[in-house]
Amino acid sequence: MKRRSNLLTIGMLALLVYFLLPLFWLVVASTKSTGDLFSSFGLWFTADFHLFQNIGQVFTYGDGVYGRWLLNTLFYSVVSAGGAAFLCALGGYGFAKFRFRGNSTLFGVVLAAVMVPTTALAIPTYLLFSKIDLVNTPWAIILPSLVSPFGLYLMRIYAQDAIDDSMIEAGRIDGASEMGIFFKIVLRSLAPGIVTVLLFTLVATWNNYFLPLIMLNDPELYPITVGLAAWSSQTAGGGGSTGDLLALVVTGSMLSIVPLIAAFLLLQRYWQSGLSAGGVKG
Amino acid sequence: MKRFKAAAVVLVLALAACSGGGDDETTKAAPASQADIDKAMQTPTELTFWTWVPDIQKEVDMFTAKYPAIKVKVVNAGQGEPQYTKLRTALKAGTGAPDAVQIEFQYIPTFSLTKSLVDLRPYGAEAQKDKFVDWTWSQVSGANGEIWAYPQDTGPMGMLYRQDLFDKYGIEVPKTWEEFAAAARKLHTADPKVYLTNLASNQNGAYMGMLWQAGAKPFATTGPESVTVNLNDEVAKKVGDYWGGLIKEGVVSADPDFTDPWYQALNRGKYATWLTAAWGPVFLTGSAKSTSGKWRAAPLPQWTAGENKAGNWGGSTTAVVTGTKNPVAAAKFAEFLNTDPAVTKRFATEQFLFPATKALLADQSFTGLKPEFYGGQTVNQVFSDISGTVDTQFQWPPFLDQAVNDWDETVGKSFADKSDTGAALDQWQQRVSDYAKNQGFKVGQ
Amino acid sequence: MKKGYLFILPFMIVFVAMLVVPLVYAAYLSLFREQLIGGTVFAGLDNYTRALTDDRLIGGVLRVVRFFLLQVPIMLLISLVAALAIDSGLLRFAKVFRLGIFVPYAVPAVVATLMWGYLYGPDFGPFAQLAGSLGLPAPGFLTDGGMLGSMANIVTWEFVGYNMIILYAALRGVPGELYEAAAVDGAGSWRIAWSIKIPALRPALLLCLIFSVIGSFQLFAEPQLLQRLAPSVIDSAYTPNLYAYTLAFTGQEVNYAAAVSFLLGLVIVIASSLVLLATRRRPA
Repeated sequence: MKRRSNLLTIGMLALLVYFLLPLFWLVVASTKSTGDLFSSFGLWFTADFHLFQNIGQVFTYGDGVYGRWLLNTLFYSVVSAGGAAFLCALGGYGFAKFRFRGNSTLFGVVLAAVMVPTTALAIPTYLLFSKIDLVNTPWAIILPSLVSPFGLYLMRIYAQDAIDDSMIEAGRIDGASEMGIFFKIVLRSLAPGIVTVLLFTLVATWNNYFLPLIMLNDPELYPITVGLAAWSSQTAGGGGSTGDLLALVVTGSMLSIVPLIAAFLLLQRYWQSGLSAGGVKG
Repeated sequence: MKRFKAAAVVLVLALAACSGGGDDETTKAAPASQADIDKAMQTPTELTFWTWVPDIQKEVDMFTAKYPAIKVKVVNAGQGEPQYTKLRTALKAGTGAPDAVQIEFQYIPTFSLTKSLVDLRPYGAEAQKDKFVDWTWSQVSGANGEIWAYPQDTGPMGMLYRQDLFDKYGIEVPKTWEEFAAAARKLHTADPKVYLTNLASNQNGAYMGMLWQAGAKPFATTGPESVTVNLNDEVAKKVGDYWGGLIKEGVVSADPDFTDPWYQALNRGKYATWLTAAWGPVFLTGSAKSTSGKWRAAPLPQWTAGENKAGNWGGSTTAVVTGTKNPVAAAKFAEFLNTDPAVTKRFATEQFLFPATKALLADQSFTGLKPEFYGGQTVNQVFSDISGTVDTQFQWPPFLDQAVNDWDETVGKSFADKSDTGAALDQWQQRVSDYAKNQGFKVGQ
Repeated sequence: MKKGYLFILPFMIVFVAMLVVPLVYAAYLSLFREQLIGGTVFAGLDNYTRALTDDRLIGGVLRVVRFFLLQVPIMLLISLVAALAIDSGLLRFAKVFRLGIFVPYAVPAVVATLMWGYLYGPDFGPFAQLAGSLGLPAPGFLTDGGMLGSMANIVTWEFVGYNMIILYAALRGVPGELYEAAAVDGAGSWRIAWSIKIPALRPALLLCLIFSVIGSFQLFAEPQLLQRLAPSVIDSAYTPNLYAYTLAFTGQEVNYAAAVSFLLGLVIVIASSLVLLATRRRPA
């Protein structure tokens, strides 16, 4: 019944090309040897298909430290995102459905905290963590990532809409404890919102660069972002036999985004459903 | 202004707040007796060693084979600046610092000022002095005779040049900077796509090597709380104006080095020379494969005809970090790594680090190599000779990062922008002096 | 209802420990001065007065303001157009577009910057190659004049998808009856978009705008990584966040860095308030 607009489709196609072309370049580049990277046209393949050699090299260079980085990133982001989403679900529900002294003040304070610049926190956090021996451990990355003021904001709005007060009342009349109500009744209705927060914090930790750059000394603990930046700076370091890391950086970059893109595609329907409430009521 | 006899830097004893575990006993410690040393080397110990030398595990294994009680954990915490940043924060935090660390010559004063390095004299360092080239030893020595590190590798500066391009355009190997400037003009006029050399606008290290060769004394430590900063005096201006002039004229390029375009330019023959350090020849062999056989090596052109002077760019040392629980083992580890003949030889032949020891620089099996990349020239011999001509008096400031950063943003920027280098030198002087004053130093000229 | 505290307690504990405590500690640090010679002394507000007259800091702040004014309108406009187009029902393969535009958000800033850095390459980047084959000079992406725009492009590329999805989600939340009523009145798609959808998006747009203010002022990974490619263009004070990092880790001026970060936070709060004020709904 609806008409389709070809003009609009073509216009959007141009936009799509803009967003996907760099990624296409990355895929093409990761199939090339370092020599071809410089000498051949960037946006098409060469006869010498080097992808598997490159991948092999990525995973074997430096005793296979790249694999470690991937696993570290996965671990940091899953634990942080899971923890943050859970804290936000509890807190968001608390803020949305309970009237207590200081409710809106506290919530306002949390929201204002979004504006604190990362450097203002990272350096003092580093100094504080070093006093309790947390520096250069996974906790140094995970603990600060557990706080997501935006996640709390989303969950509060989501809980307001998705949880019917009568459901809670019914639970109370049945004599269930507040926590019992939360875990048995509320949590299920909050699920789409939780997944949304989970995805946001997952991306945030996955992308985190500044914090691990400061906190970690041991390459065995690096996440992928810091590791790739280190490889990239080694190609620029000179001064010794650093060898030929360019193809490694390119292929490593390409491989590093595959898991997250896959997660996006699999979980994409949650983005929208979890956000609709937050966006409109914002 | 009489120069201090001992080069390098005064340790500022009573100062430096907040450097982790800054215990005083290290500077005044009585020599460790042989019995203490033997005991320490037989006590099970784990040392952490930060280094960015690739595949250094083999050399480290040679140490642990000799001292099985000692385990060494090798960590690559980044190359150069990233590692120093981590080291500094770890020291500040008081945890997480290594026992031994690779540290470049120019950073020794910066870390000894904050009392972050252990004086190695009590562990027999003085006895090793004669093994090392003189200038390297003065680089690791403090003003009160402290020995802050063992030299690991060096970078005396010379000139790598393209014989084929020189032949093509009829250029003689320049012996003085005057001849060099003339050749730069001649070459660039003959082929506007080619430059006689590239002085990277981001490479303070090479520039400092130029100052070093010219006999400049940009920094000196004149007392426990005072430094002199001379970044725009007569000698410094001579060097700055020379390069700034050639770059402004357009006959020398100022592309950032160790970037992908720079690698490509080397391969394509955009630069007819590379003014580089002794580690340069091997580095170039790996980075500009397509130009094999076309390069040769020579000493740097001189400011005065007939002279024979050089500066240094790069190279590093092994130091022991304050706060280590095992100073004896760490000091002996640093010593072994840089004095054991088998280990140092391996560094020179496997990792291609340019040696700091007199023995290796005279070793025929090292200096006699005739790499094909240089048309069979004995390149190591050339640089080995240059190493003997490096001035021993050159000093680094106790706040190197800041000095380099300020250079990048003043002098380096003037190269990149082809703007007034003289004014940039004044700015550099101003910024570094201001910083030093802010940090509580008495600043002189 | 006191039980509410029970639910917010876990969040608040972590919040206080990871945000409030470090912030207070930073405030404390900013009141001291630590010198290489002379140690740590109480400095009162000296660090703040120094910051307010620090040309390099002010230059960095003005640069991110310019960046914000250049980049954010473009980014939000593209996001808005994309969200409206996908929501309009006029598009073939709407789902493909939605996913395709969203995908860059999954790419970490570090990877995005490395990648665009290669694409910008003046010698062998594809743009330079294309220009070269057409006999044109290579575009100056990494030059003094081009850098801010190049960086704006990277950030736009990274975040259009994110903003689009927020706006799109908000659009899906607009009750369908509104459209039907408008359609009955004979309003076309463009008209519906203009007079119903865009006003309905106001709160969501505001949210995007505030996040953009915060993001712009905290710019770090992009300039830090591009610095390697264009060291003479990007200096250590290019953005305030980069400056604070350099102060703390290169200049060892942790206390001054804390003061700078604090002031930066203040600037962000002020800028966000200005945005809120400027977009406040006029009384009907």
